[in-house]
Amino acid sequence: MKRWLRLLAAAAALALAPTAAHAHLVDTRLGDFYSGALHPLTDLQQVLPWIALAVLAAFQGAQRARWIILVFPLALAAGGVASLYLPLPAFAPLLGLVLVAVTGLAVAVAARLPLGVLLAIAVVMGLLHGAQNGAAMVVTTDRVLFLSGMTAIGYGVITLATGSAIAFLHGAAWRPIALRAGGSWVAAVGIMVLGLNLVRPVAG
Amino acid sequence: MSGTANATATGSPGARRRFAALGSLAAALLCLVVALLVPASQARAHEATMAVITLREIAPGRFIGQWTMPPVDMTLQPLFPPHCKWEPPELVCGARGLTGQLSFMGLGSKQSVATIRVVPHEGPMEVYTVSAAKPTVMAARDPGTDLAMWRDLAETYVNLGIDHILRGIDHLLFVLGLIWLVKGGWKLVKTITAFTVGHSISLAAATFGLVGVPERPLNAAIALSIVFVGVEIVKLQRGEVGLTARYPWTVAFAFGLLHGLGFATALTALGIPQATLPIALLFFNVGVEIGQLSFVAVVLALLWAHRQAQALLPRWGAAMPAYVIGSVASYWFLLRI
Amino acid sequence: MKRLVPNAAALLAVLFAAIPLAPAFAHTGTGVSLGLLSGFMHPLSGADHLVAMVAVGLWGAQLGNPAIWVLPVTFPLVMAVGGVLGVLGVPLPAVEPVIALSGIALGLMVALSARPPLWVAAAMVGVFAIFHGYAHGQELPEAADAVAYAAGFVAATGLLHLSGILIGVLVGWEAGARVVRTCGAAIGCVGVYFLLASVGVIE
Repeated sequence: MKRWLRLLAAAAALALAPTAAHAHLVDTRLGDFYSGALHPLTDLQQVLPWIALAVLAAFQGAQRARWIILVFPLALAAGGVASLYLPLPAFAPLLGLVLVAVTGLAVAVAARLPLGVLLAIAVVMGLLHGAQNGAAMVVTTDRVLFLSGMTAIGYGVITLATGSAIAFLHGAAWRPIALRAGGSWVAAVGIMVLGLNLVRPVAG
Repeated sequence: MSGTANATATGSPGARRRFAALGSLAAALLCLVVALLVPASQARAHEATMAVITLREIAPGRFIGQWTMPPVDMTLQPLFPPHCKWEPPELVCGARGLTGQLSFMGLGSKQSVATIRVVPHEGPMEVYTVSAAKPTVMAARDPGTDLAMWRDLAETYVNLGIDHILRGIDHLLFVLGLIWLVKGGWKLVKTITAFTVGHSISLAAATFGLVGVPERPLNAAIALSIVFVGVEIVKLQRGEVGLTARYPWTVAFAFGLLHGLGFATALTALGIPQATLPIALLFFNVGVEIGQLSFVAVVLALLWAHRQAQALLPRWGAAMPAYVIGSVASYWFLLRI
Repeated sequence: MKRLVPNAAALLAVLFAAIPLAPAFAHTGTGVSLGLLSGFMHPLSGADHLVAMVAVGLWGAQLGNPAIWVLPVTFPLVMAVGGVLGVLGVPLPAVEPVIALSGIALGLMVALSARPPLWVAAAMVGVFAIFHGYAHGQELPEAADAVAYAAGFVAATGLLHLSGILIGVLVGWEAGARVVRTCGAAIGCVGVYFLLASVGVIE
């Protein structure tokens, strides 16, 4: 199973890379790679739970945490591809906020989760955010470049955040507390905006 | 997908592999030498999707504008300072002349660079380049001592340099290969510096027209240089001491020369007037360095994060990145010849 | 050398993780950056909120374990409850006087270096957290980008706690403990001023 996943990832990378480079040769539209990469970063509703997810993974120890480095970007890419064929579901903004609150809360209580639950959160979040970013593409956007940019930034942020959080957790007793406090603040943001969502819908 | 790299890398006897690596290095250098022999005038053809509009001053403050290189995206429109009246093809600016902010409407992914050339009644032509990264420029009459003008020039060309290297996936792939080969520490600093020195020299030489490069063989040679790095990584992982492992900065310098010629095509395509060329070149190079160092830093940070998370490739897959780099680059090589 | 490299890499990681955000915010323009900024400035612009937040950190540091770590983790969650009440427009009585009062109370506790049972301390801080969150939550529906606004004021509040805790580290030394208690007294005075202002005794 593990082998197959890795092979699949390698095949995907192999299949995508030359297309991107080819586009560079034909016309300089690699810019869409970067618009895809920047798009999630402009939305705190995505960046905050990404970092919370990485910290949550770090609390599970490196042996389990490393799986989200593989799973999350794949889910993100799958969500992006799905957005090409399916409309964004109506519950998407609400689900996004719930994910902010849930990941934040899980970090705040330093929850020990089975690997399956951790990966399920990563998959749901990846699919949702992938679809949300994908829906932001316009007719002229180069889809392959945009989606690879989005996947690349998802991989980059999750990897850096997970690695940093794991490294940070080694050492003094205050360090897990600091991360838990951070998770608690993320949860607070999620809960308050969820409350706002009851009054009027929040754009996702 | 072509299997050139796989073939050269996996062809089992050690001697053949060494030959293959040397062969691709030699071929890359041969392309370079051939490229250097071709006169500068052939360097004109380029791939950039840029648009150029030329404004000729027919009376003081009155210009006639014409696309000398029409935009791909027809919605692209120049934007002039508020005191100017633009009724294509006529631009009337009055006594103040064409000074102030110049910009383009509709710059984006399709059209990333657009240039306004101003041919005044007297004096030399002025060129203003607007890119997606630097959406406005200030037009001034006398760029010689104007500090704002200098800052403007710096902003434009530093951004252009960053833009160019970050979009140049082949350059980035080569740098990635170097990092993979040299691992880290002082050796990496020296190698990257050598690469930088190399491409700065050839970028300058090509920009001033000392050497001319036809695009296709140059791009093919660049692709080949990446194949070479991929082969070297595989050799290193098998415990053989390759050329790059032995003389990392010599190899990096040599390939730097090659890649610098590649950077130059982006700059020469803009048609910068001779007077501002040295300074534009300097800022462009600074931008390229900023982009390159950022890339190196991100790659090192990611490698560090992978080690922290113990998310490393298993032994059976350790050579995979090298094969990927090699295969992709061979594919480009075949596309480009 | 070997020890140095990961640290340098970590530093770079943080740096480069932050860099893409800058152009990104500048790029999408108003919504996110404005929301963040206005949210961040909100707790800092009202001196009553500001000093009370610092007092929370100071008191936590004085109380030591386990208050010092229970507090930064639970405060935001309780505050979020207050925030939701504010967003929903649930009427709460005398919001401004209560905030000023909790400034006085917290300042007094710090000045006296009081050590009540943990649940008493938690209840005091909790009431304040609800009112503090309520005041911020009322502003939330007007924000250009609600998530950014919430993140901004949450970050500012967290930093105020942190500065309180960092000042509170001084309690390890005798002179430092005196400095912390003086800070508490000063905070109490600011609280008195705002209480009088909120009930209209002084303009």
